[in-house]
This record gives sequence, structure tokens and C-alpha cells, in this order.
Amino acid sequence: MGIVIAVISGKGGVGKTTTTANIGLGIAQNDKKCVVVDFDIGQRNLDMLLGLENRVVYDMVHVMDDGIGLKQALIKSKMSPNLSFLAASQTKDKSVLDSDKISKLVSGLKEEFDFVILDAPAGIESGYEHTIEFADRALVVVNPEVSSIRDSDRAIGILDSKSKKVKDGQEVDKFLIINRIDSKMVQSGEMLNSDDILEILSIPLIGKIPEDKGIIDASNQGKPIILDENSKAGQAYQRVASRICGEKVDFVDVESHKESFMQKVKGIFK
Amino acid sequence: MKTKQYSAKIFEIELENEDGFISFFDKNYLFFQNNLIVINGQESDKIKNYLDSKDLKYVFNLDIPVQKKQKTNLEPIQKAQEKKEEPKVKPIEKAKTNLKVLDKLIRSGQEVKLDGDLLLLNRVNSGGSIIINGTLIVTQIVDGSIRCNGDFMMLQASSKANIVFHDVEVDNKFLQDKLNRVELINNEIVITPALKETSWV
Repeated sequence: MGIVIAVISGKGGVGKTTTTANIGLGIAQNDKKCVVVDFDIGQRNLDMLLGLENRVVYDMVHVMDDGIGLKQALIKSKMSPNLSFLAASQTKDKSVLDSDKISKLVSGLKEEFDFVILDAPAGIESGYEHTIEFADRALVVVNPEVSSIRDSDRAIGILDSKSKKVKDGQEVDKFLIINRIDSKMVQSGEMLNSDDILEILSIPLIGKIPEDKGIIDASNQGKPIILDENSKAGQAYQRVASRICGEKVDFVDVESHKESFMQKVKGIFK
Repeated sequence: MKTKQYSAKIFEIELENEDGFISFFDKNYLFFQNNLIVINGQESDKIKNYLDSKDLKYVFNLDIPVQKKQKTNLEPIQKAQEKKEEPKVKPIEKAKTNLKVLDKLIRSGQEVKLDGDLLLLNRVNSGGSIIINGTLIVTQIVDGSIRCNGDFMMLQASSKANIVFHDVEVDNKFLQDKLNRVELINNEIVITPALKETSWV
């Protein structure tokens, strides 16, 4: 039986989809069978980040409503044989979702894969509620800024009251990913540091991802940054993926800003 | 010649019945350890021995030299002291009926509405709110909004928080350090910082 992980944030644009793509691929690279599902019905993005843009034939609405088999709809990634992708519908909207259908879809996926990763839509409307409904765990993605934290706080509150696991008297394990950390700004005090964020949200940390300009190019090309071994963000995603697979990986400090020798020399002549 | 001038706290008490006097001090002597106790009434060895055993400083039948003007200034202090004694007795009676203890993080969008008293052992995050008719104590930082109409509330709020006590907005800058006690005395809101660092064990 696989584990269902919802990637949530509340606020848009903090990096849910990027995180889903990278972590999905990272888990697949750890030799676990993984499927990433785009739950943002009507605003499909995940296919582009995974480089599967024009390969979508059937999406999850076809599976739920039109009797298309899961095997036909799942797309195998070119980057790892362990990674599959189930697309969101681009033509329908969130109103097509309903609990029974999603339950059936998710349990079908759980039988096939070790990890089922659901990319939640931004906001806290029905689309979000359906994404978290059958989740066993949640990855909460925040940026180190107040509005993102408040929205995530709200999203966690809804998760804790509306998911099926909670209604059955259990708890959904929540883990925090702090994304887009700018070490320079953290040190100068302009950006919230992770201790403050952890105190407010009070859920355990699973990873800190530094800001990396390479991510934009990686998204445009459909090659998740985790494939770039030299990228700091890629390495950070790698560590998160390993932690999700149950390995113990030490936390790396991405918040202190170290200047290289050449930068220091340049600084003198400024 | 060597002289010193002090302004000390004085607690004045009428001695009518020795047993009643002793039982009162048994309960409350901790409050008077730094006070000078002025006893009006008949001196007796029993009382003296008792007060010595509690290590309290006292004098009998002293005419306290307070000017009229100062007396009005002193009153609130005495009142505040009397108030401090009250919670020792009253909330316990109340606790049986409608004190609620909650150890839950109040997240953004969550609202706690209560008719009784509340002891909250967690944070109130930005966007979360508490609306309460009774007494409120929050042991961690408040970032959200509070509406309280009780006898008093104890909390520490950040500059983001919005605290309203009996329909009056309390200025956050008085609430930022440590734990503060907010109460209504003679239609005025009095904020007293908790003297020592409170350690909630």
C-alpha cells in the first residue's frame, strides 16, 4: 500500500508544483515507485515542469468519468522509469471533482505505487479540500514571508479539520519545506529565519531550499533542477526526497551567507 | 549623622478575632513578605509569635503618616493588592463550572468563542481570533486578535496583534514584554507586567 502525500501551501506561486516535480523525481531516483498527480484542474502545469508537455492523451477526469483505465492515462517519465505522471484536465474545472471518484482514483494509485504525490491547487476552495481529503501526509511549502506563512497556517487548519484521516480520529503528518531562502536577506534580517517560521506553524521541518535562479530555466526546459548536481536547490530537493523515503539526512545550513575569497577581494575594491 | 528614607509597602489590618487573623495570614502571608504590616488592635503574644514564625515585619497601632492627597494615590495600590488575593479564592470556585483549558494552536482563520473562562496553553497566530466573555490567560505569544470581556486577562502580544478588552483597544506596546495582566479598575484599564519571568512547569 502506497503513501499519499499532498503538497500544499495556501498561497500561490510559492513553489508547490516545482517542489512536487523535484521531489517526485527524487523519490523515483531513490528506487521507489512514485506517481505525481496534478490536482490543479483547469490549470495544468506539472506536465511542463516534467518535460511531458505534449504527451498527455488522457487526464484524471477521463479516468474518473469516462472509464479510461489508469494504465492508459499514466505517463511514464523519460527521466526515471520509476516515475509516472497523471495529468489534470485542462478543459474542465474544479467542479467535476467528487469525493467518491477521488477515493477510487487514489486507492487505485496506492496499489500500484509506493508514493502518490498530489499537487494541490493554490487557495483553500473545493479543489484544495479534495486534494487533502485522502492524504496520509502533507508537505507544506512556504516562502519566508508573512503572507505565505499565514496562508499556510490557514491551509493547515483546514487540513486538520477536513481530511478523512482526521475525521477517522487519526492525524495527518505534516512537514514543512521552506522554499526560496535568500541567505543574504536572512542574514541582513529582511527575511524571516526558519526558527520563527517553525515557531508559528509548529510542524516539523523536512527541508530548506535556497533560492536558485537556475530553477526558472529548468522549468522552461522541462528538466527538474534535481537533475543538476551542482545546483544548491537541486541538492536540497535531493535531501528532502531521501528524508521522505525514510533515510536520515543531516540538515545543511542554507541560511548563512558565505562569501568566496574572490568576492571578498572584489568587495575591497568596490 | 546617618539617615535613610524609604518608601515601603504597608498593609494595614484590623485585629478583631485572633483565629480569623491567623487563618487569613495562613492563606495569604506570601503576599506580605515585602510589606510592613500595621495591625490595629490589641497586642498579644500569640499573634506576635505567629508573625515571627512566618518571618513577617509588623508594628502594632501605628498612625500611618499619609497626607490626604497621597492617600488617594495609595488607594489603587491597595486595591490592586486586594485584587491579587481574590483570584486565590474565586477562580477555584469558578473553575468547577466554566474554566476551559485548551492546548491547541489557534491558526489563521480559526475562531474560539467562549462564554466562560479560558486558559490557552498555546499560541494565537496571525489571523486567528478569540472572543470570550470570561477571564483569559494565554501562556504563549498572541499574534492574532482577542476580544475579552472578563475580569482580567493575562497575555503577551506581538505588535501585530489586536487586543480589545471591554470594547477598548489596548495599545500593544504595553503588552510586548513578558506576560502582562490587563484588568479593569474603576473604569480604567490597568496593565501590570508579571513581575518575574513566569515559568509554566
